This record gives sequence, C-alpha cells and structure tokens, in this order.
Amino acid sequence: MCKFMSLIRLIILSLFIFTQTQADTIYNLIKIPNLEIYDIKTPNKLRYLYAKQPFTLGVEKNINCYNSEKKILDQKYKIIKKNLNRYSQEFLKKINLKYIVLCEDLSISNINTAGIPDHVMKTLILDIKFNEDYFERVIHHEVFHIINDSFKQLFDEDVWSKFNVKEFEYAECSTCTDKLGLSTYIRTKGFFSEYSQSTASEDMAEVFSHLMIGVNLNNLDPILKRKIQFIKSNLLKIDQNFIL
Amino acid sequence: MIKKIRASNLEKIIFTFIVILAIFFFGSFFLIKDKCLFIKSYDPQKINFDNPKNIAILNVTCGNVIIELYPEISPEAVKRFKELVRSKAYDDIAFHRVIKDTLVQAGDLEFGKKGNIDYGKIGTGKSGLGTINSEVDSPFSFDKGSVGFARTQKYNTEDSQFFIILRDEPLYETEYTPIGKVIYGLETLGTIKYLDKSQYVLRPDFINSLRMLVN
Repeated sequence: MCKFMSLIRLIILSLFIFTQTQADTIYNLIKIPNLEIYDIKTPNKLRYLYAKQPFTLGVEKNINCYNSEKKILDQKYKIIKKNLNRYSQEFLKKINLKYIVLCEDLSISNINTAGIPDHVMKTLILDIKFNEDYFERVIHHEVFHIINDSFKQLFDEDVWSKFNVKEFEYAECSTCTDKLGLSTYIRTKGFFSEYSQSTASEDMAEVFSHLMIGVNLNNLDPILKRKIQFIKSNLLKIDQNFIL
Repeated sequence: MIKKIRASNLEKIIFTFIVILAIFFFGSFFLIKDKCLFIKSYDPQKINFDNPKNIAILNVTCGNVIIELYPEISPEAVKRFKELVRSKAYDDIAFHRVIKDTLVQAGDLEFGKKGNIDYGKIGTGKSGLGTINSEVDSPFSFDKGSVGFARTQKYNTEDSQFFIILRDEPLYETEYTPIGKVIYGLETLGTIKYLDKSQYVLRPDFINSLRMLVN
C-alpha cells in the first residue's frame, strides 16, 4: 500500500517537473527579461513595456531595476507618454527608439540613474521614480542620449567643448565628478545646470532637455545661446520637421 | 475442499486502477505515435483562391500548409521567397527553431539540409543570393499564422529563413518583414517537433516540399 502511494506521488510530481519552457517574445527582441506590454497602441508607435519582476542586465549583471506598483506605473505613464508623444514616429525611427521600459530604482553598479539609453536595441529604460522635481526634463535628457548615440558625427564633442571658456574642462565621465545638481541656474554661465558641467554629452542633453520643457530663453549668456543654436541646427539635419 | 477467496475492497480498487492505467498507457501509446491523427489535410486543388499566383503550398509530414503571399506589402521579400520556392531550395530543409505554440522557423539552406545538418551553425546559414532590405514600414498585423522573414539583430539582413507564428505577436509589427499568412492548415504546424528546454531542435522535422500553386 505504501509503495502504491509512492507511485501515485511520483506520477503527480512528474506532472510539475516536466513543464514547458515559455517563449519570451520581448526578451528575444530587446534582451531584457521579465517585461510585459504596458501599451503599444500609441500615435508614434512607441512600445511601452513594464517590469513584471525585477531584472538584471549586463555582462557583469551590474544593471538592476525593479517592478513598480500599478498605481504608480499608471500615474507616471501619463507623464511619460505626454512627453514622448512630442516626438514623431518618423523622428523616432531615425534615432532608433522604439521601446520604453518602465521600472523603478534603476541603477548601474549600484549608482542610481534616471535612464539607460540603448539605441542599438532601440530601447530606453526609464526609472519612473527618479527625482520628481525634474522628472519630465529627465525624460528628454535621456532621449537626447539616444539621438546623440545615433548621430555621433553631428554632435561632435570637440566642436561642442570649444563653445566653453578656455579654462573649462569636462570630467572624464558623468560619474567621475560630484557635479550632479540638476536644478536650473538662474544666471547661466555657459551651462544650464551643475550636471551640465560633467561631460560634453551630458551638457548637450541638458541643453536639449531644457529646450524641450520650454525654458525661458531670455537673459541667457552668449555661450549657451551658441550651444542652443548648435543643438537646434543639428536636430534639423536629422529631421527638418523637428519642432522644439 | 477448496475455499473460495474473495477479494477485499482495497484489492478491487487497486485492480481497477491498474486496468484503467493499462488502457490509458496502451491507448495513448498508439495515439501519440500517430501525431497526424487529428490533423485535417487540405488539398489546394479543391480550393478556390482569389489570387492563385500568390499561393504557396508547404508540405510537411502531417499535410499541407497553404500560405497566401502579400507582394503588395513586401514586394522584395515575396520576390525572394518565390525565387527560392521555384528553385525548390526549401525542400528537405529543417524546422530548426521551434517554440511550442509560438513559432516554427525554417529556411537555413546552408546548414539545415536533411543529411547535411550542422547543429553548430544552424540558423546562421545563407542562401548565396545575398541579403535583402527589411520591409517593415507598411502596417501589418502579426496575427496567428503570419509568415515573416527572419533576420539577425540588424535590419536588412533577411535572406532565406522564414518563420510562421502560432500565436498573435503584436510586437513583431515593424520588427520583421511580413511575407504572407497561412490560410489553411495552420494546425499542421503544431505537430512540428520541438524541444522542451531549447528553441533549437535536435533531429528536427523537415519541409517535404514548398511549391507555388501556379508556376
């Protein structure tokens, strides 16, 4: 009788053990696990995905992000969508951006970050809980990194650096400096924010994001005016219909 | 005098269970062996098509899969597909990548040929005709049964490999070049061999033939 019960137990157990491997279409497309579709019926064909569970990325598994509560996700999605809807489908295609991944507490090597752009995989990972005060601006900042990565030849860092005063030097990387402040200077001296002074590409992204949120362009210093002109003219080279 | 021994209730239950188990075992053995048992076979000659020039017949072990091609959506891809079909290039080519209830993929002409499969390289083979540009701009709904050209991670690398999806895949729109849709016999593709633990199939099933209805 005991052996008979063991046999039954074995049969039931085997039903659980020999389960199928599930296909993960999203992983196959953008190589990020644990994502689900949030919204793909968007006017500019951006596809919004969200973390169903935490995920880890990178060769050294140093990129981490976590799933959010639905309520927060719904709330932040409205803001993100409103901002990203400003980019046309044609423009997004040119810069190679198609997938927006929504998650929270995004970090690279334990350093928190607002977003991780990857124009090769056409993906932008956004931390939906990043600094509330600058959240909308940061969205555009990260989009600029996609633009920049897709059109490196247009946004030449050497040309850009020459806009600054001779004595100024950027840091070697955005995390190699303590210049991380995001608040907009009232009196600009070639830079919109402290973070602008970290690297040339972060400076460009800051100029672009300030333009996108409609910063007051009066009373800007001549250096910033030249930087703005540089960004605007190059954006028009990418897409003549781009409106800032 | 021989005493008649009556079976206890427990013994009767065990006996009944063993008999039922035996029936299921032998029954399923014969049913599973014939994987085509419940698959309907379609004869394209008995079906009227609106545009017979764009009908391709994929023949596999369990019958025909009838595909309608869409040259108006992807002219270059359909042209390439027809060219390969007409040269019988797809005959005896493996379904090397199969995900249960999700997709079947075939068309590696270099490393997927029956009798000459290279498991180390399958999925990377070329047709020798060169790659073609992706045609992903036209709206196309990748519903169950859609047929598309496979590519590498980069666009414009389509060659000869194609896939057929067994479930709706809305994210495939603008990612993959559509070439058509299965209009009859999709269930036949559910019988193509797959593995539980891997998308790539060891000792895979093969395409018997792939022909255009009208040459």
